[in-house]
Amino acid sequence: MKRGDLKNYDGKDGRPVYFAYKGKVYDITGSRLWKNGAHLNRHHAGGDLTHFMSMAPHAEEVLQKCEVVGTIDDEVATDIATDRMDVYRDWYRRFHPHPVTLHYPMGLYYFAAFMQLLYLIFRNPSFEQAAFYAFVGGTLTTFPAALSGLFSWWVNYQMTLTHIFRMKIIFTIVTLVFGISGCILRFLYPQISTGTSSLSLTYSALVFLNVPTLTIVAFNGGKITWPS
Amino acid sequence: MDKQRIRELEEMIQVVLLAIPREISAREFYLQAARKAFSDSSRGLFSELAEQEKGHEAELRRILAELKSELIKVRGQ
Repeated sequence: MKRGDLKNYDGKDGRPVYFAYKGKVYDITGSRLWKNGAHLNRHHAGGDLTHFMSMAPHAEEVLQKCEVVGTIDDEVATDIATDRMDVYRDWYRRFHPHPVTLHYPMGLYYFAAFMQLLYLIFRNPSFEQAAFYAFVGGTLTTFPAALSGLFSWWVNYQMTLTHIFRMKIIFTIVTLVFGISGCILRFLYPQISTGTSSLSLTYSALVFLNVPTLTIVAFNGGKITWPS
Repeated sequence: MDKQRIRELEEMIQVVLLAIPREISAREFYLQAARKAFSDSSRGLFSELAEQEKGHEAELRRILAELKSELIKVRGQ
C-alpha cells in the first residue's frame, strides 16, 4: 500500500480504520478503543503512528491482537516525519549558520557606535573613520545574519509567526533600514560627521540607534535559546 | 473574537514551537551516543531514549497542528 492511500482508511463516515506502524498496515475497524477513526481523541487513523508508541501507556505488543492487512511499500516505513525539511534541519544542526553569522553585525555595529561616540568627544577623525568602516561592515554582515535567521525560522519553526519572531523580523528590518540609510548618507557626504546640521545629527543618530534595535533582535533570539 | 483565548493560544504555540527543535537535538544526541556505545545494553538504552525523543517530537507536532487550527478558528469567529 502507498502511504498516501492510507488516508482513505480514516474511519470516518463508516470507512475502515487503518493505521501504519513500523511499515505494517493494521486494520482495527470495529475496535471499541477507536471511535470515528480516533483513538482516545488523540491519534487518528489513516496515518503512520510509529513514533507515537513511545508516548503510549502500552507497548507495541497490543498490536499482536490486530490484523495486519498490508505493508507500506513506497518508502522507508518508520520515517513518518522524513521530508525534505529533515535534510535541511540536519544541515542546519551541523553548521548552525545563524549563531555563526549573527555575531558579526552585533560586534561591528556596537563598535561603530563606540567609535562615533569617541569621535564626538575627542574630534579625532580616525575614530570617525573607524566608526564608518565598522558601520558599513555591520550593515553588510546583517544580510547573511538575517538570511540565515530566516532559514532557521523556516526549517526549525515552520515560519510560524509568534511574538518572538515578529519582534526579530521587525527590528532586523529597522536595523537594515538604519544601516543602509546611514551608509548612503556617509557615502554622499563624507564630511557629514564634522558638522552640526540636522543631516549630521541624523547620521550619528543612525549609528547609535542600531545598538538598541539590534539588542532587541538579540534579546528575542536569547528567548529562543533560553525560553522562560 | 476572543482576544484572551487568542493570546493563550499564541503563547502555547510559542512554547510548543520552541520545544520541538529541543526534542530533535536530544534525539540526535542520543543517536550519536548509541553509535559510540561499546556495549549492547548502553546502545539499547540510548536507542530507546532516541525513540522516546522522536515520540515527543511527533506528539508536539500533533499538538502544534491542533493549536494552529484552533487559533485559525478563534480568529475567524
